[in-house]
Amino acid sequence: MMYLESRRTFLKGTALTVAGAAIAKGVFTTDAAAESVKESKFTNTPDTLSFYPPLDQWEGFQELDGTDWKRGGINRHGVQSEENPDGIKVNDYIIVPTACSNCEASCGLTGWVDKKTFTVRKYMGNPLHPGSRGRNCAKGYAAQSQMYDPDRIPFPLKRAPGSKRGEGKWIRTTWDEAMSTIGKKMADTIRKGDELSRKSVMFHVGRPNENGFVPKIWETLGLDAYNSHTNICSANGRTPTIHFVNDDRTSPDWGNSKLIFLNSSHAADAGHYFQQAAGYIADARKKGAKLVVMDPRLSNSAGISDLWIAPWPGTESAIYLYLASRILNENQVNKAFVKRWFNWDTLMNDSEYLNFMVQKGFISKLPAGRDFESYLELLKEMYSGYTLEFAVKETHVPAYKLEQLYEMFLWAGDAITTYVWRATAAGNRGGWMTGKSVFFLVGLRGAIGTVGGTGFYHSHDISVSGKGGSSTVGQGKGGADVPKVTAWNELTWPPEWPLSTYELSFLLPHLLTDTAWQKKWNDRGLNVPSKLAVYIPRMYNPVWINPDGFRWIEVLKDESKMELTMNLSPVWSETNWYMDYVLPVGLAGERHDQHSEATLPARWTSFRQPVLRVALEKSGWKPKDPNRATLEAHIKAGLGEVWEDNEFWFNMCVNYIDPDGSLGIKKMWESKRHPGKPVTIAEWYDAAFGDNLPKLHETVMNDSRYANEEFPVYAYMRDHGTWLEEDKIYSVQERELKFEDGKVVSHEKKFDAASMSVDSSGIITANDSEGKPKKIGIQMDGKKLQGFTTPTRKLDVYTQWVAKEWKWPEYAMPMYPRNDKEKVEMVHIVSHVNHYYMKEKNEFALNTVFRLPYNIHTRSANSKHLMEISQNHDPIWISTKDAQNLGFKRGDAMRVRIVDTVSGLESGYFVAMAVPTEGVLPGTLACSHHGGRWKLTNHVTIPNGVTDGKVVPGVAPRDLNDKAFLAESPANVGKEGAQTKIDDYSGTTGINSFGVPVAEIQMDGKEGKLKYVEGIKGFKAERFAEYNRDSENVWWDGLSGSWQNAVAAAHPDPVSGMHCWHQKVILEPIQAGDKIGDIFVNYENNFKIYQAWRDDLTRGLDSNSKLRRPKHIFRPWVKLDSASYDVEIKG
Amino acid sequence: MDEIIARSNIYALLSRILLQELDENVLDILKVDPTVLDFFPHWNEWEQRTTLSNKEILEEYLNPDFTNLSILHLVPYETFYTRSDQMIETGGANPVTDIYSAYDFLVDYEIARVVSADHIGIELEFMHHLCEAQKKAFGENDMDAVKELENVQHNFLNSHLLRWAPMYLINMKYEARTPLYYDSAEMTLEFLLNDNEILSTRL
Repeated sequence: MMYLESRRTFLKGTALTVAGAAIAKGVFTTDAAAESVKESKFTNTPDTLSFYPPLDQWEGFQELDGTDWKRGGINRHGVQSEENPDGIKVNDYIIVPTACSNCEASCGLTGWVDKKTFTVRKYMGNPLHPGSRGRNCAKGYAAQSQMYDPDRIPFPLKRAPGSKRGEGKWIRTTWDEAMSTIGKKMADTIRKGDELSRKSVMFHVGRPNENGFVPKIWETLGLDAYNSHTNICSANGRTPTIHFVNDDRTSPDWGNSKLIFLNSSHAADAGHYFQQAAGYIADARKKGAKLVVMDPRLSNSAGISDLWIAPWPGTESAIYLYLASRILNENQVNKAFVKRWFNWDTLMNDSEYLNFMVQKGFISKLPAGRDFESYLELLKEMYSGYTLEFAVKETHVPAYKLEQLYEMFLWAGDAITTYVWRATAAGNRGGWMTGKSVFFLVGLRGAIGTVGGTGFYHSHDISVSGKGGSSTVGQGKGGADVPKVTAWNELTWPPEWPLSTYELSFLLPHLLTDTAWQKKWNDRGLNVPSKLAVYIPRMYNPVWINPDGFRWIEVLKDESKMELTMNLSPVWSETNWYMDYVLPVGLAGERHDQHSEATLPARWTSFRQPVLRVALEKSGWKPKDPNRATLEAHIKAGLGEVWEDNEFWFNMCVNYIDPDGSLGIKKMWESKRHPGKPVTIAEWYDAAFGDNLPKLHETVMNDSRYANEEFPVYAYMRDHGTWLEEDKIYSVQERELKFEDGKVVSHEKKFDAASMSVDSSGIITANDSEGKPKKIGIQMDGKKLQGFTTPTRKLDVYTQWVAKEWKWPEYAMPMYPRNDKEKVEMVHIVSHVNHYYMKEKNEFALNTVFRLPYNIHTRSANSKHLMEISQNHDPIWISTKDAQNLGFKRGDAMRVRIVDTVSGLESGYFVAMAVPTEGVLPGTLACSHHGGRWKLTNHVTIPNGVTDGKVVPGVAPRDLNDKAFLAESPANVGKEGAQTKIDDYSGTTGINSFGVPVAEIQMDGKEGKLKYVEGIKGFKAERFAEYNRDSENVWWDGLSGSWQNAVAAAHPDPVSGMHCWHQKVILEPIQAGDKIGDIFVNYENNFKIYQAWRDDLTRGLDSNSKLRRPKHIFRPWVKLDSASYDVEIKG
Repeated sequence: MDEIIARSNIYALLSRILLQELDENVLDILKVDPTVLDFFPHWNEWEQRTTLSNKEILEEYLNPDFTNLSILHLVPYETFYTRSDQMIETGGANPVTDIYSAYDFLVDYEIARVVSADHIGIELEFMHHLCEAQKKAFGENDMDAVKELENVQHNFLNSHLLRWAPMYLINMKYEARTPLYYDSAEMTLEFLLNDNEILSTRL
């Protein structure tokens, strides 16, 4: 009322004169902006929150520009048009599916190719992908910054004639010259035809990220020289799976689990599959699941877990066996499952082994009976020593946490998922036993293969990449006519490690230089190579990532040990510096791969594709040379002379290694449609997918959009980028054998049904395609089930073959030493960093193997985005208490001396930054071994890179709507005289300028040193300048980590062959002149350490050996002739 | 006709004062315009108005007060008052955006420097434009349009400005530390209520 009373009359004359209208701000516009909004399909806020348009719009999708949108959206500026030039820009995209290649998970990606500029404006996820469901981690989105990295290698490089390896003098060469030189050297070696030659051309892959293509190349070359990084990664993770179930790794059903029991942070935040796994783990937690993380370090996963357990590294089995003991003694065993699927009968019928157990004190007396109940009694007694008190003392985990864990275990029933990968397995000697113990534990509760339980890899995977044989003249359908390889390469499968899970790849430089070792085995009748004619790493950086890096450099520089070397690599690396050739093949969106991984109980695959090539082809472009289409497309796009592995190898085999067909290799990769020419991408993948995935084939043939295509299955995969062949795959052991066309099918493999027989224990045997009898199933309750793929067709809790033929009886059952005496006797499964070895207060167990989630080994230093968020920051995390005791404060530099607990020798030291935290277990330290990248110079000038009459690749503007652009393509790509001008390339290129600081190294054959001289700093990017207009804003120097891998000696696990990454270290204050990042290595000592682990711990082949390795376990990559397994070792 | 000119002018004047800090040109007008001085009695009496330089008045008095009243302390946005969560709706779901769009008005945020279209200064300026349109219709003797525009104004006042501006303005009046903004708050409040009464009576 107050206001009504006091109201003045505003409208009586006076206001007429106020200068109101003149001073109004005038905030409204009514111009073309408003009109442009009306005419467009856009709204000020999206109609849907989906990131992705429906598939039918992928070939032409308009979207408002993200950067521009920050100006305030269309309600502020309208939509850009001729009338409204200041409006928000509209992008016109063609969306092409592909798959990430930065880690192994193969999450779906889509490349959003801007038609107007023919550039990838962004990578997003692929919403059709069953595993990743349209989501990606930072590494996926970073594929764009890797694509437009100003330092990406623009053309094939060759060591300058007259220079030595590592001098850093390079010339530009052509793909043809490289393929001619390398192809001839390979052919000359293969043509010799002797056993040694079949071991002397080596391919060495980091992360294959494909399912069988390159191995098939090597198989058709007849070589046993496919080498992988597996044993610095996951051999100890795979070994227990092989022993327990004869599979490669677990495949947990995270999404339906009740207890997610992680033996590390690997699954949920750092390692393989984590983006997909984390999504499913989140789904499960939403439904009430509990997350338990065992990790001495407070990882991201541990931080959000329901229970964080920080055991001393390598002691986890003590916890698993304590839990097992309680489950047994408290009658909580899932008896139905255990009785049906544990191989209890194998143990109870093995009197010899039962006696051995008594003799070893595992049990006090022989079991009363041989029945199942007696088995349970035996287990109860065997594990009774693993008390709560023992577990607490051995692992340093408080009792209440272990009791809580036990309650969770019971609560979860048979919906328990677990994953054993890297972490404790990769870090510790005997780490594989932690896997075996936890599988035993999970099995006792019946959580194997169940909904929400732990399944296994091979039933959740699609491997068809190498099976496009029907498109070739010579391979036959699925590669049936490819001859098996007849050689056994001791450099990759040395006789000391007959059970090694994969190749002893990290020992390559040691084995090549260990002439005493070579002589020993040659004297005993083997034929060990002493050099390699050709060494081909693929997108792999063995110098930096392997232990004992200086020895790698020594061997790579030695032209008598490695006669010709080349790396198929899109980026610079420490290794490339010492190569003869560096050939740039493509990144995630620049290559073809069929790639599947076991991330859920289903069988899906990704189809990785060069998105710019596919966008061109979909727009109507035709390559001049269909066998070099990807190379042409990348030149057209301005990426440089960047190719892809598939087309490279097709060309190599047909035109360079075996051009006249005399080696029998040419026909293997010759197109059936166009004899004389290499097979094409479409031909190969149409066959690879179509011949091997029946549901996909049927779906495509019933789809009118594809049925009439020339390559229908390829076309379908090209458009979708992913496929789900089978979903909800559980308890595969319970599946009955299938019979079709005279064949019996078990675990997707076919056998001769007529030869099938069943023995008295129910094991079903049938002949394989070579007529050799194989165990294929088990008869139960009158049904013929496929069972597991072990010799007993059950879960090999008791691994009889390990105990008998392969000489490790004490580790045939889940086991952990119960006292110091047993630690001495069972040294093979005691971590080399067990607290037993720590005597002084400055001695620590260094945990090295955790991954930084935004980095991936050597694959991320070319991404400015990943480097900015990580800065390669990699200090040593030390518990506050330990730091206090030793007087270290945050940011202090420390000397970290590495000491071997087998030989007692010192490897040297690295200087690292201390960061005290409550997040690590006292007595342990954490420092990821993914730090410490280096380069020797900031820039490389390649003198003939821009001159010598380089041709212009095209004249029409890059625009997919421009017919002239689509009509032209560079001619004779890869050939002399057709080298193209590279956009904005001046002749000098940086080297991983966003991620790698400059260092000096010194080495003399015995000792090596590295010191950083300059951190990362801002620079002006020339290539892809617009995309990299922020390159001068680099604010991180990348100088907090150390190249600790080089200090590390090789620690081959005596059973699995895994390099056991963790280190016993002694912390000391720095000395004058020390700087963070410095390293000093005594690599002469490191050589002795490798020898000590080999000679003191292994149980290799001897004069009683008949086989190199058990035939029933997986020997990856190439198929070997059965006779190659036979061996005779002279006494 | 006089009435619509006067209403339009007042809406324009108030919208300008409440939208942004004053610039020197506007300040010059406010310092000497007799109608303004009549409307703003305390401002009229304020001695420093005539003794200080424009720069001093703005930087030492008016701008700090404006910042406090419209950015730091008080919130001159409709949705802050009308949404239960007291969040300012900066996206397309802002209730006034659709009305502006219906009359082909688009806020140019680079000029307005506000976070959303329901700022009191914008809403007042919108009323000013409606009055201008009415003035034009009046000039063209289109009485249907005049009627319709009065309806629109009445609706806009009742569904927007009057539902929240009084709360803001009362607070502004109590928070104001300069006579100009004190008077502006009081005058705006009184004018809005008065204008609504006139329109209500007429319709």
